Amino acid sequence: MRRSTVSTVLVAGLLVAGCGTEPGDTTSTSTPPATVRPATGSASTPTGTAGPFNPTDIAWLQLTVAMAERLLPVLDSVPARTKDPAWRRLADQIAATRRADLARAHRLLAEAAAPTTNPHEGHDMPGMVTAEQLTALRAATGEPFHRLLAEHLRAHLAQSVRVATAARRNGGQPATVALAADVVRADSADLERLDDLVATRTSDDAQPA
Amino acid sequence: MDRAAPLSGIHRRLRLATAIGALLVLLGTYLVSATDRADAAPGQAGADFGTNVIRVAEFPADCTYSHRLPDDPIIFPGLPGASHMHSFFGATVTNANTTLPDLVRSPTSCNPAVDVSSYWVPTLYRDNVPVEPAIATFYYLGEGVRSDVVANTQPFPQGLRLVAGNAKATGPNDSIARWSCLHAGQVPPSKDFVNCPSGTMLESYLDFPQCWNGRDLDSPDHKSHLAYPVNQACPSTHPVHVPKLRQVLRYPVTGDPSRFRLASGPGYTMHGDFFNAWPVAEMARRVQDCIRPVIKCGHDGRPI
Repeated sequence: MRRSTVSTVLVAGLLVAGCGTEPGDTTSTSTPPATVRPATGSASTPTGTAGPFNPTDIAWLQLTVAMAERLLPVLDSVPARTKDPAWRRLADQIAATRRADLARAHRLLAEAAAPTTNPHEGHDMPGMVTAEQLTALRAATGEPFHRLLAEHLRAHLAQSVRVATAARRNGGQPATVALAADVVRADSADLERLDDLVATRTSDDAQPA
Repeated sequence: MDRAAPLSGIHRRLRLATAIGALLVLLGTYLVSATDRADAAPGQAGADFGTNVIRVAEFPADCTYSHRLPDDPIIFPGLPGASHMHSFFGATVTNANTTLPDLVRSPTSCNPAVDVSSYWVPTLYRDNVPVEPAIATFYYLGEGVRSDVVANTQPFPQGLRLVAGNAKATGPNDSIARWSCLHAGQVPPSKDFVNCPSGTMLESYLDFPQCWNGRDLDSPDHKSHLAYPVNQACPSTHPVHVPKLRQVLRYPVTGDPSRFRLASGPGYTMHGDFFNAWPVAEMARRVQDCIRPVIKCGHDGRPI
């Protein structure tokens, strides 16, 4: 009650002041700025030749770039750390897939006129190898190296399948959704190859020498 | 990115509002002194501004911990599981797919309960066990700029999404994080975790930018639609002064900082995400009654 009296006085003061200036300005002094559009997923992001990008498309492409760039040093360390042809072959193949995905993601981000950096890049994200883990990997050889490599590849591929599955569902731009579908397929297959290789090596170990 | 409806004649309006602001301050001063007289002579008619108003432009929301998810509807919309672990405050429904209509309909952990905004931060771990703040306060302030700028503060537009702090910080120098100890002022604040004496609490302060470009509810980096003030005023690129959101988290942990980590990394990677869902009228009223006239308000948005 007490305060409403004050408010009335204040508002009256504002209105009086407002009336002394250009009429168009009177409403803007004490009211909040204009109505805003609801923050839905179909925001006004740039439109590429193959359809509009939604925020999920952009976020997933950026994440895909960040994840691939983090995994490539792991894969590139393989030839120097193991002579096992099966591990080398798997690493080669995953690296080739990653580089192709990376190129497609870069092209799509350029088409969307979006930054290629991931806002959370460089920090502890699921499926991303940390700098410490990479250092440890580069110091290992033989079986310990294979174990660490398998662990990092599995974490990366599982997370990649997880987010690409969501992007395939919630993305909007056709070429991005198609890339997400390809990633789900390729990374699921690589996960199986990884599991097969680990199983083979484990059974090798179990056999008497 | 989403855009707010254009504000016409912002510059002209700012000049006018500056004048109005000055008038408001004068009026406020007059009212306070008038009130003093009124109190001295009970029964006398006149406006009562409250003789004991505290001249700090502030209204708070205290929001207890709600839930944890590896989701981020600002950075990774539509991608559940894509993020590092976040601790959510305010709206209790927030996940990777959350949009403004979801928040508007959501229950909330905030006092006041009208604040259905969503606030989230990287989860703090001690010895790899999550620790949630015992107290989480989100202050809306009018400070850090000239008084005429404060007097022309505009409400945050509903639906605004904003990230403060640097999750990618590689050292204290590219961070605005601030860690200190509650009730232990002798421990110097730091951009990384500090060693708090037992019986105190580890606390984190984070100030969000308070100058809006007047147009966008989000931006590609989720930051650049707002800016920090320059020389006590908002830069011409971001001319609309909004409340300074200050996030204060008190964690019930003390001792050896080497046992702590954030889901995003070291202490200097502390960051905060804000998705504004305050009812437009409630936020506008608080800005008008608390921030512009420089009055400390309680959870109800009334002078304390």
